[in-house]
Amino acid sequence: MEDIVVKIEHLKKSFGNNHVLADINLQVKKGENLAILGKSGTGKSVLIKCLVGLLNADEGEISIFGKSLADIDENGLNEVRKKIGFVFQSAALYDSLSVRENLEFPLRAQPAKPQHEVDALVEEVLQNVDLKDAIDKMPSELSGGMRKRIGLARSLILRPDIMLYDEPTTGLDPITSKEISKLILDMQHKYKTTSVIITHDIECAHITANRLAIIDKGLCVAEGTFDEMIKSEDKFVKAFFK
Amino acid sequence: MKRLIPIDIETNLNRIPLLSGFFNAVSKLTLFVLRFFKEALKPPYEFSELAKQSYQVGNRSFALIAITAFIMGLVLTIQSRPVLAEFGATSWLPSMVAVSIVREIGPVITAVIFAGKVGSGIGAELASMKVTEQIDAMEVSGINPFKYVVVTRVIATTLMLPVLVAFADAVALYGSYFGANLKEVVSFHLFFSEVFGKLDFSDVFPAFIKTFFFGFSIGIISCYTGYNAGNGTEGVGKAANAAVVFGSLLVFLVDMIAVQITSLFT
Ligand SMILES: Nc1ncnc2c1ncn2[C@@H]1O[C@H](COP(=O)(O)OP(=O)(O)OP(=O)(O)O)[C@@H](O)[C@H]1O
Ligand SMILES: [Mg+2]
Repeated sequence: MEDIVVKIEHLKKSFGNNHVLADINLQVKKGENLAILGKSGTGKSVLIKCLVGLLNADEGEISIFGKSLADIDENGLNEVRKKIGFVFQSAALYDSLSVRENLEFPLRAQPAKPQHEVDALVEEVLQNVDLKDAIDKMPSELSGGMRKRIGLARSLILRPDIMLYDEPTTGLDPITSKEISKLILDMQHKYKTTSVIITHDIECAHITANRLAIIDKGLCVAEGTFDEMIKSEDKFVKAFFK
Repeated sequence: MKRLIPIDIETNLNRIPLLSGFFNAVSKLTLFVLRFFKEALKPPYEFSELAKQSYQVGNRSFALIAITAFIMGLVLTIQSRPVLAEFGATSWLPSMVAVSIVREIGPVITAVIFAGKVGSGIGAELASMKVTEQIDAMEVSGINPFKYVVVTRVIATTLMLPVLVAFADAVALYGSYFGANLKEVVSFHLFFSEVFGKLDFSDVFPAFIKTFFFGFSIGIISCYTGYNAGNGTEGVGKAANAAVVFGSLLVFLVDMIAVQITSLFT
């Protein structure tokens, strides 16, 4: 059981009368890329926000590295969060800070490092997303795709064991989408990260994922590799891969 | 059939949501204030962010405050002169204007302008940080957004408003000197020796102390409205608006309480 990093059991979440997640069960193994697909508004963002404790589950259990989120206090939660990188759907760059300051920001949660080490880290992650020239720009000067890549770089700077991507390619052109997908794959190989990738971009799922899960109406309706999904006879799954 | 209970229950029930909404907001605000003190006292302290916020708060508002203060002093002097002239007491003009500026008008007008300029800015900024998930992003990277965003801004407004009020008072007195010179020539030296001759500790000290409370109220209410903003861009506008409205209202409420308290001691 050592190698199960994220475990979701009977997860339930509602907002008033809006029952978003009814009963979600998923497991992610160490070093694996899991893509979660689903229609817009099915609660994919809600699901990964529950994974980092930004939203609290109504029922069910979420364990990360064998620790149940329900059992840990604020400090424990912060310890878990340090091992997780979260790429927001909207990139969520800090408007008032430059790209460099944005990238340095997560390092605050750690013991202070000498400046040359910080600079080296910043340079490395920028190199990863191929945006070295943007270092002194403000977020408002960046295009949507560049913001997404900087958001990705910011999540990578702490070398997280788990990466959570919320629609990393949505709203990007096919070429940039492909680059981001490849980048996600690179990160998996380079840093041995475990990733959960929320997407409705089939190509992105195809490139990045070892395994796919499809959620609909608050339930996980199908699970398997890309090839299994393609061959599936299930109506809903078929509609997705058409 | 006669009613057993003379009160019309139905209309009263209809009022309850509004009332409970009010108490709900007050209790949430109280918790917010308590959380502020809890987080503010707990290390680590964000000194560099505090310095940055203080600079921005001052920088954003000081020009507007200077202009208003100057006009305020000038107008007050021009308006007071005829009344004093009626009693043949125009020599009282500098000291009378000085007392009203330092005790009341300087602090209150500066605070209200501050609420309009800085409070709305903070409300809108925090709300847009909330809406664009920047607050969530801080939280997941293990940085306490309340401490980093709210605590620094509230301390900045609390410390900077007294400084701005002192500055506004000085500018307003200069405006008053300018106004006094429109009708007759008064030397700078004479004017200000009249001013400082009349002002004493009981004028300056309570007025100075209450500005800290003004600054705190404006900071906390703007952060509260921003931090609890609803989703979407609509939430940003609403938060900015609520920050100004409730910030200004709170200034007058705090002023009223402050005046009651000072009158107990004098
Ligand atoms: N904080 C919240 N408060 C109330 N309702 C919410 C909240 N967050 C999400 N919801 C609701 O949960 C549902 C799922 O939202 P979610 O953002 O998870 O969708 P999604 O699957 O990520 O969609 P998309 O692909 O468009 O991003 C929506 O109906 C939304 O209205
Ligand atoms: Mg989403």
